[in-house]
Amino acid sequence: MASQEPWNLENGNLKGSSKEIRHVRTVHNMSSSSLRKKSDRSLVSKVPCRLLRQFLANLQEVILGTKLSVLFPAIPLAIIAECYNFGRPWIFGLSLLGLTPLAERVSFLTEQIAYYTGPTVGGLLNATCGNATELIIALFALYQKKVDVVKYSLLGSILSNLLLVLGTSLFCGGLANLKKEQKYERKQADVNSLLLLLGLLCHMLPLMFRYAVSPSTLTADPTLQLSRASSIVMLITYAAYIFFQLKTHRQLFEAQEEDGDDAGSEEEAVLGFWSAFAWLAGMTAIIALLSEYVVGTIEAASDSWGISVSFISIILLPIVGNAAEHAGAVIFAFKNKLDITLGIALGSATQIAMFVVPLNVIVAWIMGTRMDLDFNLLETGSLALAILITAFTLQDGTSHYMKGLILLLCYFVIGACFFVLRTPLNQPNAFNLGVQSSSGFSSA
Amino acid sequence: MDSQEPWNLENDTLKRSSKEIPHRPTPHIMSTSLLRKKSDLAIVSKVRCRLLRQVLANLQEVLLGTKLSLLFPAIPLAIIAEHYNFGRPWIFALSLLGLTPLAERVSFLTEQIASYTGPTVGGLLNATCGNATELIIALFALRQKKIDVLKYSLLGSILSNLLLVLGTSLFSGGLANMRKEQKYDRKQADVNALLLLLGLLCHMLPLMFRYSASSGALTADPILQLSRVSSIIMLIAYVAYLFFQLKTHRQLFEAQEEQGAVDDVNSQEEAVVGFWSGFAWLAGMTAFIALLSEYVVGTIESASKSWGMSVNFISIILLPIVGNAAEHAAAIIFALKNKLDITLGVVLGSATQISMFVIPLNVIVAWIMGIHMDLDFNLLETGSLALSIIITTFTLQDGTSHYMKGLVLLLCYIVMAACFFVLEKPLDQPSDLNLAA
Repeated sequence: MASQEPWNLENGNLKGSSKEIRHVRTVHNMSSSSLRKKSDRSLVSKVPCRLLRQFLANLQEVILGTKLSVLFPAIPLAIIAECYNFGRPWIFGLSLLGLTPLAERVSFLTEQIAYYTGPTVGGLLNATCGNATELIIALFALYQKKVDVVKYSLLGSILSNLLLVLGTSLFCGGLANLKKEQKYERKQADVNSLLLLLGLLCHMLPLMFRYAVSPSTLTADPTLQLSRASSIVMLITYAAYIFFQLKTHRQLFEAQEEDGDDAGSEEEAVLGFWSAFAWLAGMTAIIALLSEYVVGTIEAASDSWGISVSFISIILLPIVGNAAEHAGAVIFAFKNKLDITLGIALGSATQIAMFVVPLNVIVAWIMGTRMDLDFNLLETGSLALAILITAFTLQDGTSHYMKGLILLLCYFVIGACFFVLRTPLNQPNAFNLGVQSSSGFSSA
Repeated sequence: MDSQEPWNLENDTLKRSSKEIPHRPTPHIMSTSLLRKKSDLAIVSKVRCRLLRQVLANLQEVLLGTKLSLLFPAIPLAIIAEHYNFGRPWIFALSLLGLTPLAERVSFLTEQIASYTGPTVGGLLNATCGNATELIIALFALRQKKIDVLKYSLLGSILSNLLLVLGTSLFSGGLANMRKEQKYDRKQADVNALLLLLGLLCHMLPLMFRYSASSGALTADPILQLSRVSSIIMLIAYVAYLFFQLKTHRQLFEAQEEQGAVDDVNSQEEAVVGFWSGFAWLAGMTAFIALLSEYVVGTIESASKSWGMSVNFISIILLPIVGNAAEHAAAIIFALKNKLDITLGVVLGSATQISMFVIPLNVIVAWIMGIHMDLDFNLLETGSLALSIIITTFTLQDGTSHYMKGLVLLLCYIVMAACFFVLEKPLDQPSDLNLAA
């Protein structure tokens, strides 16, 4: 199972040549490919036994195939810390560190599987698994009935994608390409902005509902019903978006092609289908384990480090979860391939807003947990302004470093806001309007 | 110090001929040049003594060199009124009138000094001194601990720039140029819009913070810390904007050049005031602005009671109209000539400067002075700001203009003015809107 040609990092055009199926690289695939390393086969090929050699090559490809694999030792350390009770903040920190390379490997494996299944299913796989880490963390938090952690980690992930990842990418890209004109296809950005605005509407209506009704009226149940209905609508929209992206308007989303390098690079999958599947299952299990640690120890870490749980959920968790995509987006912006950067950042934000959040509401519905789309005034307001600012930034089709700097500064201001916010998690969020809200901090 | 060639009002292209440094005037400079008059040096040149002649020429250039100098007598009148206690509303009104020509002269002098220092420092000077009047009024209000006057006068200045000045300019320009296509470069407008949105974020977060917390007492300190951190971030953004505007992306901001500029060769302007002379005049004018601002801030409540309008209304609507009068006139004139890039440069540049520089500067100065000033400007005012920024950004995003755009902006301003007119809240009441009370 030796690879014919290692990933060529400099080549922006990656056309698979397996059979006749043109495997057009989605932007997500291309992002994580920039963190790959070339596998050096010389050591492994000396092992005499063929099966062992295959197994070791597999291992090398999967475990060592990324620059982030330096963080892999954090995983066993986290497990040891949990078993021997080192101290809950340590478990939290180590689990966070361990999740970073795992997230990247999952996208790599998804890409490998996508080779065998063709472009459409591959795109679907990517769309679903792209934010596997956030989804798993959210599901565990839901399971442990920490609905606030769910809400705020997902919200923070959207904010991080729209402001932090996009901001640093545009800023670095602008500084690196000061003399050139930086353009991108704005149609892709437009569709994503529209979806995010729909998501924003679905969040704002329950919030305004709660404020608008007189105190004597109970708003908890109607808000919940509204949230569940909105979630179904959001999932329908997301399905339509996938159809739009992968079938009818594919050409809007195709990664930028580099001229003149087509003939040279032919990639094949470096892993077999079942092998990749097995690895994927294994990695997902470890992600689940670490996510359980993270969600379980978040309050202890918050008390120990002196920062609020909101801040950890909104700022720290998403930075970790998005680390691989972040690096990829910045690298592509340096190369002035802004379509790919936007595909990564906006695609991820849309996926979380339109897929992961409503999915969690539905799962909570099934589990009987009370989760609605009311994310509270400050968080929803931040989300609204972030979407607004990003939509304005991206609507003219060009970029310069000032745009990236402003997005980045917006993120810092929002981060500072949640840093100084020290409301304890369990305090009921009673508003001055006299409404005793029961759905604000619902830990039913 | 005889000038070679007086300002030619008809010629919009002002190219310096001093040394080899091409001094391209920024929109702000070009705006105020329209209010200049040709100095007639005939009378002065008859005076025999050379030194006296120079002083008189200087005086004539500075004091009489603008059409607004009709309002200059208001300054001594205001000072007399203060000393003889004519009545505080009179002091207020006369000070307001006196501030108008002073603001214009300050920008004239800044431009003169800028012609000696080169384009970059000149641009920086303009960027800092462009809103000198608003800054000085704000600092005096801060010193007299009238935080509300401070907040609302600065907010009103942004609203006035975005809606009133821009609205009247686009409206007049649209009516005057109905047959022609009115275009401008939207990249400049985009950068300014983004900065204004960042400023809006910094204002809205403390506001939402206050509403979302359970008790007012717990939020005062965090809001203050957040405001101070946000102010630092806003100042960083402004410095980056200056760097962007003056160094790396200069070409986006350069004033439109007139076609067929045959007049280029003929009109060579030099500074009409010497460097140190300009500096001295600037210092003097600033002192007068400071004096009149002190009167204004001190008598604002009496004027409010006497005229029957709330202090909010005076701060948000009246003060900025006065402070922006010169820029307002210039913006309209350039719009009539279908030079919308300059109009937008004046308007948006001024709004951005106040939002990103003057307001955070005041928060930092208040921090140093130990005064409790935050970025929470209350729901009604922040909401008006948000809507005006959004409306203006939408208006400017396609790169063309017509009179309807201007009319809509203008009507937005009138609606907001009506809103603050009917709002009769006394100044001393705590302004947290506790709806449960």
